[in-house]
Amino acid sequence: MRITVDRDRCEGHGVCETAAPELFLIDDEGDLVFHFEGREIPEEQRAPATNSVLTCPVAALKLEG
Amino acid sequence: MTVATATPTSDVDLYSDESVLAPYDNYRALRGLGPAVWLSRYQVWAMARHAEVYAALHDYETFSSGSGVGLSEELNRVMAGGTIGSDPPDHDRLRRVIGRQLTPKALRQHQDHVQHKAKVLVEELVERGSFDAVPEFAQKFPVSMVPDLLGWPENETGNLLAWASAGFNALGPMNERTMSGFPVLKGLWEFLDQLATSRNLRSDSWGANLVAAVDSGEVEASKLSVLLGDFLVPSLDTTVSALASAIWLFGHNPEQWRKVRADPSLITAAFNEVVRLETPARGFCRLVTKDHELPDGTTLQAGSRLFLLYAAANRDERVFTDPDAFDVTRHNVASHLAFGHGIHGCVGQGLARLEAHALLHELAARVEHIEVGEATWRRHNTIRGLAALPTTLHT
Repeated sequence: MRITVDRDRCEGHGVCETAAPELFLIDDEGDLVFHFEGREIPEEQRAPATNSVLTCPVAALKLEG
Repeated sequence: MTVATATPTSDVDLYSDESVLAPYDNYRALRGLGPAVWLSRYQVWAMARHAEVYAALHDYETFSSGSGVGLSEELNRVMAGGTIGSDPPDHDRLRRVIGRQLTPKALRQHQDHVQHKAKVLVEELVERGSFDAVPEFAQKFPVSMVPDLLGWPENETGNLLAWASAGFNALGPMNERTMSGFPVLKGLWEFLDQLATSRNLRSDSWGANLVAAVDSGEVEASKLSVLLGDFLVPSLDTTVSALASAIWLFGHNPEQWRKVRADPSLITAAFNEVVRLETPARGFCRLVTKDHELPDGTTLQAGSRLFLLYAAANRDERVFTDPDAFDVTRHNVASHLAFGHGIHGCVGQGLARLEAHALLHELAARVEHIEVGEATWRRHNTIRGLAALPTTLHT
């Protein structure tokens, strides 16, 4: 399972950070940091990963695989 | 259009005074009838369950916004082509021009200003003790701030609330509320056209940045008045509704207010819970672009319109336990659809949160108990909100 971030759509609302704090961070500048860019999501993070994609308010996250 | 007899159908009038003032039993009944229900009075489909509304919002190709998102063709003809009434790729271009100014990151520079204004207002209201929370709190705050940030001409703010109200009424059917709003809306459109021509917008404001986007060729000059309207109209009535509902809900649920006071980190969830339970904009429509079959076998025919009832989805018992209760510690409150969801998700939600969080923080720091008197609700096609709310703050 991988997640792709559509940077054009992302507005930095930070809902993904609440849903999956191990995967996402809104940094001090207000920008989204995704810790698994282009990488497989670890098994134990799959539930929060799915939740982050479902709750992204602007559909900027997509699940692949 | 012919509809098969097995189709879930309802003749409920979601726009009667009774239904507007007490909508939730009707929403529950619609959820119970099926994943989509044919509203025979208005000749549209309605979705009232969370899963279906969510899925439709995320399938913008099947459920298009490009021909408008209102119930009547009269309004849809006018609104098509704006940010709300468009599909990708046009939508994404317009959305970016507005959206980049309203991201939580972009709003950070206004945070101190907003917090200060919240402090001043709350201190003044605490001093006064008793007041009507609709004009003196819920309307006063956004109206004192948003036009200023937009760079709006200072002497032209008198009609803003009437324009916003008429704009949202017009999303409904061609009833008396919509009709009486059309002359008001005409005034708004004329004013926006003038403003797009005169460009009388304070420098370094959101409005001035829209002008710059036109000058750089990013968007057509013909879109400027629409973009100014898209920025202004949705920013007022919805926030006004949410702020007044917050006072009303905390007034009726003092134990929830005590929880927020004891742990102000609950304010984010509390505001989500306010807009889940008393969703400011009841919903928007989509045009079905190709036949779409639902799990129960119902087929939504290409060319039909579909009303997505956010306010009903937000009380769906399939998703929210004890859905009619106000609970600031609700674990899955972030799943609400009050701001819509997906590519058309409310572009101003960061601003709405900034305003509401600032006010709730100031109230929580000072007010022990919120006492509310008899509330009067608005008779409005789209906005669920209070018309009057006698309030007393006890410190």
